[in-house]
Amino acid sequence: MQTLSVNGYDMAYLEIGTGRPLVCVHGTLGDFRTWSAVLGPLSKNHRVISVSLRHFFPEHWDGVGDDYLMVQHVADMIGFLEKLGDGPVDLMGHSRGGHIAFRTAQLRPDLLHRLVLAEPGGELDATLDPTVAPDGTSQRAARFAASASKVSEGDIEGALKLFFDTIEGDGAWGRLPAAPKQQLRDNVFTLIGQAGENRKPYAKAEAQSIETPTLFIGGAATKGSLPAVLRALAAQVPGARTAMIEGCGHWMFEQAPEQFSAIVTEFLEG
Amino acid sequence: MQTLPVNGYDMAYLDVGDGPPLVCVHGSLCDFRIWFCVLGPLSKERRVVPVSLRHFFPERWDGRSDTYSIAQHVADVIGFIEQLNIGPVDLMGHSRGGHVAFRVAQQRPDLIRKLILAEPGGELDATLDPDTQPGPSPLAARIATAADKIAAGDVEGGLTFFFDAIEGPGAWTRLPATPKQQLRDNAFTLIGQARDGRPPFSKTDAEAIKMPTLFIGGARTKGTLPRVLQALAAHVPNARTVMIPNATHPMFEQAPQRFCEIVQEFLAEA
Repeated sequence: MQTLSVNGYDMAYLEIGTGRPLVCVHGTLGDFRTWSAVLGPLSKNHRVISVSLRHFFPEHWDGVGDDYLMVQHVADMIGFLEKLGDGPVDLMGHSRGGHIAFRTAQLRPDLLHRLVLAEPGGELDATLDPTVAPDGTSQRAARFAASASKVSEGDIEGALKLFFDTIEGDGAWGRLPAAPKQQLRDNVFTLIGQAGENRKPYAKAEAQSIETPTLFIGGAATKGSLPAVLRALAAQVPGARTAMIEGCGHWMFEQAPEQFSAIVTEFLEG
Repeated sequence: MQTLPVNGYDMAYLDVGDGPPLVCVHGSLCDFRIWFCVLGPLSKERRVVPVSLRHFFPERWDGRSDTYSIAQHVADVIGFIEQLNIGPVDLMGHSRGGHVAFRVAQQRPDLIRKLILAEPGGELDATLDPDTQPGPSPLAARIATAADKIAAGDVEGGLTFFFDAIEGPGAWTRLPATPKQQLRDNAFTLIGQARDGRPPFSKTDAEAIKMPTLFIGGARTKGTLPRVLQALAAHVPNARTVMIPNATHPMFEQAPQRFCEIVQEFLAEA
């Protein structure tokens, strides 16, 4: 595959279309294939660059190592954008990739034209949610740690089911077709890394500091805490827009690819 | 995307993994992305090279030239393998891509080590099926109808008609949005396919395939494809057949792990 050497690591990416770069960052258990449903519609008007983060497929990582950290992935994203070097790019992140995109915009607004956050992952701190536990733990974080333990114990299916059902509801993993299931399974060892990634919660001042014009996209049917995270951030990022897609959950671009692409394209070109 | 210059055309491809090369050719309405669900397991031990045939995504073709034909695609795959310049490859084709792979193997056995045909598309002539009627097959007639709808602007109607013809009534409606969009991205290729000029398979054709050949089928596939597979497998000298239980035509999407096991086992044998 095509790669860019970033911070000593060859980051793989898929590149389709012409125009301003739209760099797309997958979330937990994703990789460059995550965006396959929207590659067609989006590449009509953009130079879509779908990356795989360090340790995700096409790497066959075994979970061993100490460089799976949020700060590392953010540094890699910044390094990748610097290497593209074509002027400000559009950056889109989903879930954990949305967290990475948010941090990239926070640290290096000079690299960006516009920002799209599709249900960015993470937790809110007390400045954004007064009810949050002072020690920063959450039920969701605990379940992800439990998923990682299952992987270490060799219970791959159990780990995937726990992760996926935590986000999309009981039974969701069982209903997922085999093809998307396999693509998540290909990245299962990254759950081990994610348990130690040292991700910080979002703070009000951070959201208020985002200079890049930002679009938040959510699935109207997404369960759990992600919708609240989206709303809290969108309320603080200056000038942010929000679009909710009816009938969709967390992987809204897989469930409504044309609608998702139209919303993104309209925002990026507006 | 990465491309190789083949017969005056930049053929796009993906290149993942290290080891013996496995070139993969998609079928009707598909492109390099169709193999995403098997890339993980297969790329652990080999170099997997899914191509996109001329006029398929990432190209955005409008159906309006006469450069879409079986003969052109066969010449292009031959040219592609020559351009790879790594000696004989393993070659895998699905559906219409299986027909292409069969013809490549027939014309240029020097380029192929082993051949995998996943329900190859096509018709049988009278030497393989005494009940064959002269003239276009029912499937060819359906392709023509679907192509006419698409050319007239009824893309959804054309896709529904074509897909239901292969997978049964209501199948298009039940298909999840992600695979649907990837077929839609290639809708205009049906216009070309109506002029495919695809010759039927003959007994002599099958007997001319010299290399070890694996036929893979879905135990529940409808229509004529299972009969085509059986007829070819009966006459290819060094052939074996494996059926995947409960699967239909896109069998590797429905059972990716089992599909990969079967492929790996066949390719790894001496």
